[in-house]
Amino acid sequence: MTDTDHHSAADGVRAGAPDRLGRLDRADRRPARIVARLTGQALGPYQSAVIRIGFAGTWLLFLLREFPHRQEMYGPDGPWSFDLAQQLTASNHAFTVLMWADSQVWFELVYAFAVFSSVLFALGWHTRATSVLFLVGVLSLQNRSIFMGDGGDNVIHLMSIYLVLTRCGQVWSLDERRARLRAERAGEGADRARTDRAGTDRAGAVLWAVLGAVLAVATLAGKVDGGFAGGWLTVLWGLWAVQGLWWSAGRYARSDQPRILLDVVANVVHNAALFVIMAEACLIYATAGWYKIQGSRWQDGTAVYYPLHLDYFSPWPALSGLLSASGVMVMLVTYGTVIAQVAFPFTLFNRRVKNVLLAGMMTEHAVIALVLGLPFFSLAMIAADAVFLPTSFLRRLGGWATRAREGLARACGRLSSRVARTRLGRALPGPREGAPRPAETAAEAGTAAGTGTAGTAEEPHVGFTAVPTPSP
Amino acid sequence: MLALVALAACVHLGMVFLHVAPSNTVTKQHGRAIDEWIYPEFEQNWKLFAPNPLQQNIAVQVRAEVKATDGTVGTTQWYDLSAADGRAIDGNLLPSHTQQNELRRAWDFFVATHDTTNRPNGLRGDLSERYLRRIVVLRLDREGAGGPDAVVQQVQVRARTTNVPPPRWSEEQVSDKPVLRQLPWWPVAEKDRAAGTRPVDRTGTMASGR
Repeated sequence: MTDTDHHSAADGVRAGAPDRLGRLDRADRRPARIVARLTGQALGPYQSAVIRIGFAGTWLLFLLREFPHRQEMYGPDGPWSFDLAQQLTASNHAFTVLMWADSQVWFELVYAFAVFSSVLFALGWHTRATSVLFLVGVLSLQNRSIFMGDGGDNVIHLMSIYLVLTRCGQVWSLDERRARLRAERAGEGADRARTDRAGTDRAGAVLWAVLGAVLAVATLAGKVDGGFAGGWLTVLWGLWAVQGLWWSAGRYARSDQPRILLDVVANVVHNAALFVIMAEACLIYATAGWYKIQGSRWQDGTAVYYPLHLDYFSPWPALSGLLSASGVMVMLVTYGTVIAQVAFPFTLFNRRVKNVLLAGMMTEHAVIALVLGLPFFSLAMIAADAVFLPTSFLRRLGGWATRAREGLARACGRLSSRVARTRLGRALPGPREGAPRPAETAAEAGTAAGTGTAGTAEEPHVGFTAVPTPSP
Repeated sequence: MLALVALAACVHLGMVFLHVAPSNTVTKQHGRAIDEWIYPEFEQNWKLFAPNPLQQNIAVQVRAEVKATDGTVGTTQWYDLSAADGRAIDGNLLPSHTQQNELRRAWDFFVATHDTTNRPNGLRGDLSERYLRRIVVLRLDREGAGGPDAVVQQVQVRARTTNVPPPRWSEEQVSDKPVLRQLPWWPVAEKDRAAGTRPVDRTGTMASGR
């Protein structure tokens, strides 16, 4: 994990405590502190939010762009026909609700569902539930026609699975906004969340009940694959049960204990999943880089010339020609690409080098989007890169977004300005939130974490760990 | 709990690592366990333009035997479907997967599942053949092959592979002669016709077509 931001903070603390006793004490406490951090906080709230918006947004734009071609790509009578898909999925057991029925109506419903679930997920509306819906949408379409996709689809496929396990709605989400408004309404009382909880999260409870009913129907109809261990049946019912458990722990439990426990579990799972997402991004770059080293074209410095001259990857032949006009330039880009890809995972140990390389990678992907005609692949890769962006930058980005929106809203008139102010993306991050829903408020999550692992709140909120303490 | 989750994350990453790594001692011994963990949902391939980028333009072309409405049977010209894709991509900020991936990947799939004499290797080979056939029938229909209301009865596919000419600043020489791989004629059955490509007068043409 890029704990680099935290490193700099830790360095500062260390410099201020030079005596040996202090150091011993610190060394003694370190494992405990690491455990406290991993259980007490869902790290990287901005990073997980930016990849949520990034992947959901990429998938949404892709679906809208392909809307005119949806029949040909995923429809029951497309070239990869229902019959062909059925034979393949029967042999590999990939998950897709599109194989539940070969009707045109069902297909249109699923496509629309995929579009709306990505909108809701990007906005962070009941993030935990919509993350699962997003997953179902992505897998259903992609697994229906696996020969239609490319690397970009592959990234979104993997990340949609990992995102289900993260608390990616802590900031920049409707969940955060709802929690903030509720906290404002309820005032500063210690048990405000409890009194408030049942009443206001009606949408979450309804969502949970509806999804449970849908899942029950699908199960009874024998549509969901998989038995007890590891099958999709287990996964989906398991996720549903966890949400219910979370809700009932908040609603009925006498003490805070069950909720605190669940909060710790959610944090640990989130932190592990975020680590997996980062490691996955590193694996992508490492694989792409190390295999290139073995290629003669990457060795002789001409590799970049070739994709630029493939008919399928040269939407702007004149531009491609211009870019590959100089042999020295082509060689520099060729070597630079390999060096950057191979080096990337190792630069995570140094914040400054990492950030420089990250900016380079994002730029290269933006160029690839245009020059090789791979906009959605590039967008997905940029979203994956974004998980390594420093918190300070992301917060500034959030600030800009807020100001831009408010400026726009002012221009549009007073009414829309009111909407904008209460929308997501406020520079002031609210309390954490986003774990199993429904019926969870950010405030209680915050309290739970505070009580559960006293001491974490004293740590300086620098860089990656900048989960703000709730205001009270 | 923490240890359990950490263990699961590490095992998963280990599996993914072994899946993307070159064949090695561990993957040779435990390939099956790795595959069972990875497939189908965690499958991935990040050899992007590696070890070497593709250095050939592969054009998939097709011609058809069509039956016109007056009953005459004729063979069409070769249609260069990849060139049509290329034209659709040219100057396009947002190329569609149907233009960039569909035919290109279908041909890759076909090549990967057939031997050099074009014999399929099992189920996937069979699927790839039917997929390719449905694509070309759909494309021929869009091209209006054989005139209005003509029915495609057979198709023949070939791939024309041309080396990308070496850069001007390089002294390398490669052949600029295209290499052809021609597949046998395939009869087109009713199930090979994708949406919208079925004969208008179904009963009449089908009866005479068979």
